[in-house]
Amino acid sequence: MTTESFLELGGVSAGYGASRVLDGIDLGIAKGEFVALLGASGCGKTTLLRAIAGFVSPNAGSIRVAGRDVTRLPPDKRGMALVFQSYALWPHMTVAQNIGYGLKLKRQPRAEIARRVGEMEKLLGLDGLGDRKPAQLSGGQRQRVALGRALAIDPEILLLDEPLSNLDARIRLTVRHEIRALQKRLGITAVHVTHDREEAMVMADRIVILDAGRIAQQGTPEAVYNRPASAFVAAFMGAENRVELWGQPSSGRFEIESGPANAACAVPLEGRPLARGFVEARFRAEAAQLLAVTAGDAPPAGTLEFSGRIESVSYPGGLWRHAVRVGDDVVLVDAGMAFAAGEAVKVRIPSQVLFLFNAPAASSPAPTRSRQGGDKSRSLEASEA
Amino acid sequence: MSKRFLGLLLVLPALAVIVLLFIVPLAASVVGAFEVEGGHGFGNFVKSVELYRGDTIFTVLIVSLSTLLIGLFSIAIGGYLTLGENPRAVAILRWLYRWPMFIPFIVVGQILRTFLAKNGLMNNLLISAGVITPMQATAFLDWRGIVIAFVWKQVPFVALLVAGAMASIDRGTIEAARNLGASRLRILIEIVVPQVATTLLVGLILSFVTMMSVLSVPLMINAQSPTMLTADIAFRINAYGDYGVANALGLISLVITSGVAWIYLRHTMKERA
Repeated sequence: MTTESFLELGGVSAGYGASRVLDGIDLGIAKGEFVALLGASGCGKTTLLRAIAGFVSPNAGSIRVAGRDVTRLPPDKRGMALVFQSYALWPHMTVAQNIGYGLKLKRQPRAEIARRVGEMEKLLGLDGLGDRKPAQLSGGQRQRVALGRALAIDPEILLLDEPLSNLDARIRLTVRHEIRALQKRLGITAVHVTHDREEAMVMADRIVILDAGRIAQQGTPEAVYNRPASAFVAAFMGAENRVELWGQPSSGRFEIESGPANAACAVPLEGRPLARGFVEARFRAEAAQLLAVTAGDAPPAGTLEFSGRIESVSYPGGLWRHAVRVGDDVVLVDAGMAFAAGEAVKVRIPSQVLFLFNAPAASSPAPTRSRQGGDKSRSLEASEA
Repeated sequence: MSKRFLGLLLVLPALAVIVLLFIVPLAASVVGAFEVEGGHGFGNFVKSVELYRGDTIFTVLIVSLSTLLIGLFSIAIGGYLTLGENPRAVAILRWLYRWPMFIPFIVVGQILRTFLAKNGLMNNLLISAGVITPMQATAFLDWRGIVIAFVWKQVPFVALLVAGAMASIDRGTIEAARNLGASRLRILIEIVVPQVATTLLVGLILSFVTMMSVLSVPLMINAQSPTMLTADIAFRINAYGDYGVANALGLISLVITSGVAWIYLRHTMKERA
């Protein structure tokens, strides 16, 4: 958390009727920072953005901009501009009229509006399109007009509600960098809502992951990616492979007991609050190594090794992706060379890319759960996702 | 039997209905408008212009004024239903505004006749409220009564169309304007109405044509001169059996409504281009 917050949310809760969409959100955003609100659909990220913008009034909590309480202020008195997912351009106005409308509302002189609109068109590469109607523009151009309309009034905070989700996949990649570069150049504070992990990683200084109306974790892209705080965050950040293990902490290390498919191994605890019992191990397909079972050398210290059998192979590009049966679970592992289906293999996961979390039932052991068994159906689901 | 012939046979009943019930009577009255004693000519039109020039202008003015007022009221109602922030008031308005649509024109005429008369309910209320004295009470049963009746009856219809169109525009376009600081009135005029302009125009043109053809309201409220063309047509036929002038007046009404339809067509063509 930054020491000096420009935009500050304190205990913001909101809901429609009886359902609670946001549940006590505390968040501080520094001036000039680019923050991505990341989450699955229905997690409350758009509601949070709309609460910041002033279109949803929170049931509890406060929103402050530069120390000024704006919780009850109307949307236009907050110094913020929102870019809508649908762009929400006015179809009866030209590009120039769309961009200049905010200035017209502020009663700026006509010459000043024309100058500012020209500046925006130049900034966003819309030169010569000023007289077109939105219907005559491509998706990418519309998106830039929406951005220009928001930036023309020189807001302190730019709010982006999934602005790239309506673009072609190829354009999206370049627009990501364009928006990021623009935000840096203008030094504007930006809050960006997205469900696309990669988009958030590429664009944001800080990622805030939301789950069921609460902040699941926040931090720099590399922190969230490499040190997920919960199984949910790990799965959301791409560690979809899930295997259950048994182990216990012991003098700064977590000792994983050998199971039907894995060898015993001890990994550094690094301050993780792991308790004795079942743990959920999560890792990414590309983080694990796949070796032929004949490879004789023992795994390096702190590396978890499973023995498994290849079920199927596919080629998504770059690396071969293998579905490997490990005990009752199926995990996906990438490798530079293809293994044949049915081949016996070893899967090695170095400790720094192995995420361990106490399984929910670990604190109160469920009698139905055997030490060897896993939650087979759930892990299959996770690895196929 | 060829397939082509069978297809023709299938559309024949529909075609016959259109020809017999629509095209033939229309053609007959168009031809009838030019029939004078001992041949064809413009006699009926000369007579129509001489006798009913004032009524024609009266009709066009009344219907145009009513159309304008209907447009304003239905924008106001649709706008409040779309942008209103008091959910209870919006719900009440939504429930209330449609009622006049289900009341026939003749009943509207009857209701307003008793309401607007010199000793009618409106003046009685105004007098007992002390707004006017009994000496000042006048009947509204002239052009004002007709306009009030038309607006009262047609606003719900146009408002229904307009409110539906307003409800289906992208809410984001309204919120984007609010985000930039537009007041609700500006949003209505500059953002919402332009996006529903075509629907509004269609509703107003349908209302215009409907009002041009209403007989009961002018008969009930204002049958003296000047009155509307529909009342004149009825009078020519009932009093004189003069179908020639009646047909000529009908054709004049048709030309007026065609003019409005032409405005509409030209507008939609321009929009598509």
